[in-house]
Amino acid sequence: MYDFNYHRPSSLDEAVTLLGQGEDVKVLAGGHTLLPTMKQRLAAPSDVVDLSRIAALKGIEATEGAVRIGAATSHADVAASGEVRNRIPALAALAARIGDPHVRNRGTLGGSIANNDPNADYPAACLALGATIVTTKREIAADDFFVDMFETALDEDEIVTRVDFPVPRRAGYAKFPNPASRYALVGVFVAEGGDGIRAAVTGAGPCVFRVPEMEAALGHDFSPAALEGIKVDAGGLNADIHASADYRAHLVGVMARRAVEAALEGR
Amino acid sequence: MARDTGIGARVKRVEDQRFITGKGRYTADLNRPGQAHAAFVRSPHAHAKVGSIDKASAMEVPGVLAVFTGEDLAADEVGALPCGWAITSKDGSPMVAPGHPCLAQGKVRYVGDPVAVVIGETLSAARGGAEALEVEYEELPAVVDLDAAQSSDAPLVHDEAARNTAFEWELGDKAATEEAFAKARHVTRIDLVNNRLVPNAMEPRAAVGEYDSGTDGFTLYTTSQNPHVARLVMSAFLNIAPEHKLRVIAPDVGGGFGSKIYVYPEETVCVWASSKVDRPVKWTCDRAEAFLSDAHGRDHLTHAELALDEQGKILGLRIKTKANVGGYLNLFASSVPTYLYATLLSGQYDIPAIYAEVDAVYTNTTPVDAYRGAGRPEATFVVERLIEVAARETGMDPAEFRRRNFVTSFPHQTPVIMMYDAGDYAASLDKALELIDYSGFAQRKSQAAREGKLRGIGFSTYIEACGIAPSQAVGSLGAGVGLWESAEVRVNPVGTVEVLTGSHSHGQGHETTFAQLVADRLGIPMTNVAIVHGDTDKVQFGMGTYGSRSGAVGMSAISVALDRVVAKAKKVAAHLLEASEGDIEFKDGQFTVSGTDRSIDWTSVALNAYTAHGFPSADLEPGLKEGAFYDPTNFTFPAGCHICELEIDADTGHTRIVNWVAVDDFGEIINPMIVEGQVHGGIAQGVGQALLEHTVYDESGQLVSGSFMDYTMPRADDLPSFSLDFTVTRCPSNPLGIKGCGEAGAIAAPAAVINAITDAVGHEDVAMPATAEAVWQAIRKSPAREAAE
Amino acid sequence: MAMKMTGEYTLPADRETVWQALNDPAILEASIPGCEEFEKVSDTEFNALARVKVGPVKARFRGNVTLSDIDAPNSYRISGEGQGGVAGFAKGGALVTLSDAEGGGTVLSYDVDAQVGGKIAQVGQRLINGAAKKTADQFFDNFRRQLDPDHAAPDAAAG
Repeated sequence: MYDFNYHRPSSLDEAVTLLGQGEDVKVLAGGHTLLPTMKQRLAAPSDVVDLSRIAALKGIEATEGAVRIGAATSHADVAASGEVRNRIPALAALAARIGDPHVRNRGTLGGSIANNDPNADYPAACLALGATIVTTKREIAADDFFVDMFETALDEDEIVTRVDFPVPRRAGYAKFPNPASRYALVGVFVAEGGDGIRAAVTGAGPCVFRVPEMEAALGHDFSPAALEGIKVDAGGLNADIHASADYRAHLVGVMARRAVEAALEGR
Repeated sequence: MARDTGIGARVKRVEDQRFITGKGRYTADLNRPGQAHAAFVRSPHAHAKVGSIDKASAMEVPGVLAVFTGEDLAADEVGALPCGWAITSKDGSPMVAPGHPCLAQGKVRYVGDPVAVVIGETLSAARGGAEALEVEYEELPAVVDLDAAQSSDAPLVHDEAARNTAFEWELGDKAATEEAFAKARHVTRIDLVNNRLVPNAMEPRAAVGEYDSGTDGFTLYTTSQNPHVARLVMSAFLNIAPEHKLRVIAPDVGGGFGSKIYVYPEETVCVWASSKVDRPVKWTCDRAEAFLSDAHGRDHLTHAELALDEQGKILGLRIKTKANVGGYLNLFASSVPTYLYATLLSGQYDIPAIYAEVDAVYTNTTPVDAYRGAGRPEATFVVERLIEVAARETGMDPAEFRRRNFVTSFPHQTPVIMMYDAGDYAASLDKALELIDYSGFAQRKSQAAREGKLRGIGFSTYIEACGIAPSQAVGSLGAGVGLWESAEVRVNPVGTVEVLTGSHSHGQGHETTFAQLVADRLGIPMTNVAIVHGDTDKVQFGMGTYGSRSGAVGMSAISVALDRVVAKAKKVAAHLLEASEGDIEFKDGQFTVSGTDRSIDWTSVALNAYTAHGFPSADLEPGLKEGAFYDPTNFTFPAGCHICELEIDADTGHTRIVNWVAVDDFGEIINPMIVEGQVHGGIAQGVGQALLEHTVYDESGQLVSGSFMDYTMPRADDLPSFSLDFTVTRCPSNPLGIKGCGEAGAIAAPAAVINAITDAVGHEDVAMPATAEAVWQAIRKSPAREAAE
Repeated sequence: MAMKMTGEYTLPADRETVWQALNDPAILEASIPGCEEFEKVSDTEFNALARVKVGPVKARFRGNVTLSDIDAPNSYRISGEGQGGVAGFAKGGALVTLSDAEGGGTVLSYDVDAQVGGKIAQVGQRLINGAAKKTADQFFDNFRRQLDPDHAAPDAAAG
């Protein structure tokens, strides 16, 4: 690791100010991507702003029709939250299967979505549930937030503070993990909410995406059988040593059906 | 007391207290006064000529003390790393094995090959210097694919090795085997890949080299499974220092699996450089470096054939194997695909004729050498896949087919050197069949099919040759060393005991099992026994730990030394009890004059051995200390039966192992809990090889599975709880009756897994690692697919 | 590890204009994603420094860009290789072919091959295809934008 300046602000204002000072300032949330990259010497930020001591970024709150989760809330806390488990069990189940126990106790919701790793789990939940990403500057709809591989709508000096998840009528998530990293090789989140059915796929493409064909089919008949025969085009999907694009395309179908099953079973 | 701690007791590992409370002392924990740090500059290319190296570019980095290259090593006549086992090709020519320069001499042959070292005041300075060092490379075409490496148009890894071939070796009777195949009623033929593995010990390698200009002597702290062999190689081949001027210490070592047997460039350079900069030099490998620089394991391509008569009796077996040795022939790399492999091709079976051909092939990849099992997993995979396929092809039950061909009388001379001395293969098979409820399998399979799952069962009735090894035997086969072991038992005046052993412990629990033996034999508490190992200044000599040899060879040496200590102690007791030496009996820590109530305890004898008051000087020397060099008379032959039952999710290809039964015959067992732990770990690694561990080089020779993000280590949730049991036939060739247990799981497991997967999918075309996608692809061309749908 | 990509754009300019642009150092400099330095050595050789960012990974690659197999105004090969220090190295090239589009304009098609080595190949295999494709897309998008500021996305691109 190269030398860098470490900051641990206690307020959001202070954090935002720090983001504007320094040559190459990085925000540190759970650190699961940033710190290994720095240790590999593949990133050399001049300054690191650690958000872990900002109380305002933590916590889970239930409101009328939504669950609001602070950006610095750990995956383990989301998985264990009674509010999340009762109102959006699929989201708690997703959080409970991110990485491994170490990752879940350090990693955070805000860190995950701001990084927008193509294989991360949370982007699928945000997109399928129609979440709103609240930042230090504004509110961004999930549809507009995830732009491309590792790219989001966030400005350089903008910090995610909270994500508001509307409570769906039902939702389910199914994931086929990368056997090594336990990231999603393919994960599909299906939700039926106020504006109908949304099905979001992570891991399969460069960035999380929705599958309108599946959404339409599930709109007519919310059952795994409704998805039979719907094929996702392998063109443009990710391919690596773990899974070819064809296999990923196949897994999107399998995981979508399993997500619907999970939604029907309320898990 | 012996019942709680003696031979056969499930004693908790005494070393674990310090390991799990952070009190272990590993090489990376050691910091010497004035210490500097080393960072290695490694080739990013698989094959290249190294042009000019601009040392100034690194020296400009603040804190950089020195930069050394292959030229500097050559100027000091530091030798290249040798291969220590000479193999002769079938045409009589010696193997072609150019040494591995510790820093490149004009050419690099794999990604990660060390090119230069930068010594810095701090690790950060050293790494900064290493990054800044400007090295000119002229890239050469790389040869990566094992199958293509011997073609005439392949680039040459070493100019002197035509067709990239280090040797073309054979074993067995070709004519007799051809005859067996000529009269066969049925011939089974398979092609197998034994996938390359990255060892990934929990503790990465590390070294601290320290030169003392006052004594002109060196000390090397390093992560070694055999510090004396490291000293021998550095002294005899690398010209670092004569043995009496070089002390090698391997302190606590966190796992090796073979990868820490060898002498590597890094520790050699650290100890050498410490005299150049006149400061201790420390290097700690990080995980990314470990992937590139630790010797890898396995990597074979094999065509195998089995000849059967009309009753399903095996008539003959023949194989042709290409073994990938990587960019250089590593220290023991030549023995692994030859004498540790083809000599086990008879398996547990009575096979009249065997013929094996093995080509060792260079490629532009990390060198390959022994990894847990070393040759024997490869042999077991070939034999057990052949047997399973042959049974299926001839419509026989695979258990029955095995039983029909088992060796049943001992000693049994195989056609491939080994003479099996004891075993009962049907006993372990029967017990395993019972434990897995074999007769209920068909019902479990149909139940699984109703749930959309493909269920399969697979056997592996393996044998291994351990207790490595009789020095005369290995010497006649080309080994550069003898493979005996040494022990010294030092009794202190208060009766406590220090045992110095050449068997290094790096996870095996020697401090517990060895102490159990001593406590049992001397009738003293285990807490009064210290096991000392891993320091060439304390232990006179030792051959180290690998090949499941520490129990069978290392403990046998201790046993012989203990016999000598007891004999001497009896003399002392006879003097004290004023009796004849022949009348002294020793039991449970008491020396008694036979047929009387006159006795004296161990502690008193020990004390009197050192006070020596009134000893008749001519007959009785003071002191109580004895040593032994134990050379085994035969290999040992652990064997057993592993059965894997698994289910495949037909939609995704994901495999879940639902039951695993292992019934092993390790001879006598000192500590069943430690033995079970060894079996658990071995199976985990074998399952890792079969399902998960995928070493991938791209066509240009880049290792693209070079981190834990992509290289899948087996984890607890990939494995079921294992059902273990044992059968015991005593090993006749060593005093303790021990066969060894360290490698069995890794040897047995891969074949059991693949036999189960191929059973589930209904055809034999499934290669390791059977990743989810590979199994999904296999299901798509499977006759069983329709059954499940 | 090696990647291959192809794509195609239709540009609102005649073939000669596009060809001139393909040989214009200023336009090439503006097209190379993250280009920080671009220095002409000869008509067909340039030294370059480019900053590459993939997620948290940031690396500067220093190297050269060469134009070869020139068949004016129809096709050439543009290739580059760079050293990224601790990150490793990258090299690659594109065969760029121009043809007249139906109804005016020029079709630019490219056939890219790229290879990376060193640490980025060792630890980043799952991202390299995506990153390489994105980089190639950005290069040709940037190039197109200079000839046709109104369009940004490729007409057709396939992995």
